[in-house]
Amino acid sequence: MAEAKTHNNSNKPRPRLLKFLVMQIISHSTIVSVICFIAGIVALLLLPILAMNTYISENALMPGSANNMLSSHDVTVANKLVKDLADLKLRSNGSPIESRKLIAQYMLGLDAEVTYHNFYPQLNQFHPLHFFTSPDSSIISKNVSCASIGINTVGIIRAPRGDGKEAIVLVTPYNPKKVGSEDALSLGVAYSVFSLLSRVTWLAKDIIWLVADSQFGEYSSVSAWLREYQAPHFHRVVVNSETCNESSTMEGKLHSGFRRAGTMTVALVVKVAEEGNHFDDSLSIYAEASNGQMPNLDLINIVNYLAVHKQRLWMKVSKMESLLGSKWLNTLGVFFESMGQYARRLNPQWKFGIPANEYVEGTATLASSMYYQSLGVPTGPHGAFRDYQIDAITVEISPKVSPAKMNRHIDFILRYGRLIEGVVRSVNNLLEKFHHSYFLYLMTGPSKFVSVGYYMIPFALLAAPLPIVAASLHVFSSKTTPQAPGASEVDASLESWKWIYSARKVFVIHLWGVAISLLPYFLVQIPGLTPTTNLTAWGSLAVLSLVILYSILGYPTSGAVASGAEKREWTNLKSVTLTAVSIGLSLMSIINFATAEIGALLIVPFCLMARPLMLDIQARSMRTLLLATLNLALGFIAFPPSAFFLLKSAFGYSDGYNISDYWNWMESLWAWNSATYLYIGIVHLPCWALCIHILFHPC
Amino acid sequence: MTKKKKVQSFWMWVIGSVTLRLILVYFPRNLNLSSRPEVSTPLTSLRRLAEGYWLKRSSMSPYAGSMYHGSPLLLTLLGPLTVTRIEGQPDQLLCSLVFVIADVISAILIRAAGKSLQAAYSSSLKVLGLHQLSENSEVLPSGDFAALVYLWNPFTIVACVGLSTSAIENLVVVLSLYGACKRLASLAAFGWVLATHLSLYPAILIIPLILLLGYGPDAPPRKLFQQRINLEVDNSSSSASSHLEEEVKDQSRVLKVFAWRPVVHFLIWILLWSSYVLVLCGIYIQKHGGLQELFKRTYGFILTIPDLSPNMGVLWYFFAEVFDFFRSFFLIVFHGNILLMIMPLALRLNHRPCFLAFVYIVISSLLKSYPSVGDSALYIGLLGLFSYELKDIPFSFLLFAGYVGVSLLSPVMHNLWIWRGTGNANFYYATGIAYALLQVHYVYPSSLNVQI
Repeated sequence: MAEAKTHNNSNKPRPRLLKFLVMQIISHSTIVSVICFIAGIVALLLLPILAMNTYISENALMPGSANNMLSSHDVTVANKLVKDLADLKLRSNGSPIESRKLIAQYMLGLDAEVTYHNFYPQLNQFHPLHFFTSPDSSIISKNVSCASIGINTVGIIRAPRGDGKEAIVLVTPYNPKKVGSEDALSLGVAYSVFSLLSRVTWLAKDIIWLVADSQFGEYSSVSAWLREYQAPHFHRVVVNSETCNESSTMEGKLHSGFRRAGTMTVALVVKVAEEGNHFDDSLSIYAEASNGQMPNLDLINIVNYLAVHKQRLWMKVSKMESLLGSKWLNTLGVFFESMGQYARRLNPQWKFGIPANEYVEGTATLASSMYYQSLGVPTGPHGAFRDYQIDAITVEISPKVSPAKMNRHIDFILRYGRLIEGVVRSVNNLLEKFHHSYFLYLMTGPSKFVSVGYYMIPFALLAAPLPIVAASLHVFSSKTTPQAPGASEVDASLESWKWIYSARKVFVIHLWGVAISLLPYFLVQIPGLTPTTNLTAWGSLAVLSLVILYSILGYPTSGAVASGAEKREWTNLKSVTLTAVSIGLSLMSIINFATAEIGALLIVPFCLMARPLMLDIQARSMRTLLLATLNLALGFIAFPPSAFFLLKSAFGYSDGYNISDYWNWMESLWAWNSATYLYIGIVHLPCWALCIHILFHPC
Repeated sequence: MTKKKKVQSFWMWVIGSVTLRLILVYFPRNLNLSSRPEVSTPLTSLRRLAEGYWLKRSSMSPYAGSMYHGSPLLLTLLGPLTVTRIEGQPDQLLCSLVFVIADVISAILIRAAGKSLQAAYSSSLKVLGLHQLSENSEVLPSGDFAALVYLWNPFTIVACVGLSTSAIENLVVVLSLYGACKRLASLAAFGWVLATHLSLYPAILIIPLILLLGYGPDAPPRKLFQQRINLEVDNSSSSASSHLEEEVKDQSRVLKVFAWRPVVHFLIWILLWSSYVLVLCGIYIQKHGGLQELFKRTYGFILTIPDLSPNMGVLWYFFAEVFDFFRSFFLIVFHGNILLMIMPLALRLNHRPCFLAFVYIVISSLLKSYPSVGDSALYIGLLGLFSYELKDIPFSFLLFAGYVGVSLLSPVMHNLWIWRGTGNANFYYATGIAYALLQVHYVYPSSLNVQI
């Protein structure tokens, strides 16, 4: 061993460049991390400026190159359908059977294959491991009554030119129990397109029109149909009433059994908004599917291009309305604008400034885009398609006047029917799946987006200090551990494995996090509990289990006298915690970027700043006391429930601070199998607890 | 007293790991581990084995199609267990039990090998007069440590619960090392022949096994002994004491000379065992093309890499991309790469055959055609045997964090590519490269530390 050491020493005069650089960064970790963190926030604020204009990447699409063929005949028949539905509503007070039959008859009139798809809505269930597994096809056995069965009506047109291997899906959600005029109008729009497509010769893909029975929610009906289509399995549904078999009157014409067309390439959900917007006809696009997945950008591009350039429509994507009026954002916009102007004066080639109001709008859209992606809850029935890798969006039409008061249905149907026709015709040209354009992006406007290459920069800058500080703490703590004179060589060299003990602690706390995230699964099994009691039970169980863990593992409590070795222990613990946070955040950034970004904004400063309060209090200087208060404040901000309420009030959704809101929010997250829930339970909360542990470490 | 306590807690830990495995065995459908590309490769997947057994039962060649590529011996051992179902119990329960038992036996063998290694090492340190060091080296029970690392390593657990036959492959490798440490030539030969038969790559372990049998377990370099003896001789010549001279003679016996007898025995046993295995296989596959078909479907499958489905290694992507007319060239390059490293390492580490075996195992699992986490489970467990020598290995924390990160990242990237379709093959391959880099960093500093 002695020989090896001298051998190493003789090599020392030639330090390697890489090692030198790494050591420099590690030894100046404080300043580096401050710079990185600030740069991360600045880069995040710059994203709306860096946004690119959308463009259609796939050449085969050729949107708008063909003339519209939607004729007045199609529209008139569609209008008749709308009227019939309205009459039916008046006559039989909205019998679901009658209206379903009416739609099926209209479909049959176009020589389509029509089937009913019976389903019963599946309650959203908590599958903690759902993220890593394929959509399940387990056998379900359930006793359902007739009333709880939903019936989708499906019409399929076979393409005259196609080989039946691909299909395009049109979805119109519609509630047969309560046919509103907006549902009838969306059916009318879809029918007009369907009627055109049943005649055209250029069709290369089958068309499926799914009239989704939305009495149990739009999502569940579409997802039930998709599950049957993609992964058929054997329901053991026992229906205890024979009256369900209502389609008997039309049995001869309807196809029995489940009909399929080819692989679905694109799905388009068409909806008409209930309320008019009194401003102008506009079109909203919803694209976020589960866990922040987005459809291919080209799909949004086609709709946007056709709506704006062909139909002269006003396009909208959702915005954080509260940010639009915020003063500081406006000031920031003005500042960036003036910076852009200044830069342009220096060199006319530099064009990065955008007008202040555009900046504010972009930021509001970006914030909303990030919010909906980070929730991990799909924003509409299109979300069900993404689970099967099918690109889908919801197009919501909001007319000038509300559909109930609308007189000229024909114009409305013609205009939007042409839009849908254009989209279908363009997608019909596709030779392969969408793959050219982006899947990972954030919208900053209907025709502006930030791609993964740009939005990863702020996150990388935010997360970069974590490993740097962890490394510096690790190096620092292993260098300065005092070696007791009596200790043998083995003990001394075991110092380099000291981190094992901290790693064990971190591991145990993360296990606690896993247990905490599984608790609600058992809590909801107990019937008749209000959200508030549930939340209280959850919180108290969590604290109780943590206290028990502490007492079992004998962690130093604040009363215990710290020995010399324990004094340094917190640096080791902090370095392992930081490593755990950085691994967790980088994993989450791949699963759901927006969650990781928001999570990093909340937890990174607290993790970096955390140090025992005792140290600060003992020092008794102004600076350390300030540091201690800052630590406490950051700790408060990073705690998930308080972060939830703070964010809520910051974005102006503060409709009273009801504690049960938090439970409801968490419940919606796990009911939709959002990875955000797992992130909060397994990464965020344990790391927060560890940082609090460091904060109250006896020193 | 303290020693007894240690043993007790050792068995407690073993029982704990077995319990954990049994608990996990009961949730196979939720975990879905046996379909993960990191766990089951075309060579180690039990599902393929069951398919091969089914083919064999319907009197077809088990190698028909391209499903099964393992040994016929495994088919006879595990095949009947794959079709036995116990009502109300998870499928493949019996196979899981076999794998759990295999893991426990490997751990016990590692422990025994570690004990004999430690004893040999501290006695040779005593001969060198480094009593302080030898006492220190006894403080760490490296055998117990290695066995527990092997049993509690998440990779081992995942490979065991994920129904991968690598548990059995690891068992025979460990068996041969144990046999060589205890100088049981027949056992070492048996382990080596079976290991080579099951997965081909352990064939290179013949060099460390011969060294182990010839020179005995790991010891400090022979030149240190030489120096020591010279020193003693100088001293004794000045004092001219006959008593001292005798002692020196004793010590010179310790100075290892290559013992040919066990090596010759070993080679003879290899001949016997391999002909035995070949005869057994020949009888089993007699009607389906004979041994030639067997070699083509097992070793040929390993060497020519026809299955390019993604795994943790670096070769599948490369051979998916490479032009067909360069394929054989690169096949030779990649396999030659393993062979190239054998000689220099053998020369450098010939006084430490066990460590040499460890390095060989790491290198082969790095450049293997179908690597899985079961391979890493083996070498991480073996590393525990050298815990005394490696106690101040640099970057231990970095390595640990890297392993945690990569093993979590890999399923996420796979999900992004296969299930969501938003990522592509490069995403998954990136984790493969990161994993390979980690393995290189794993073996490099440790081999620097174990030079003496």
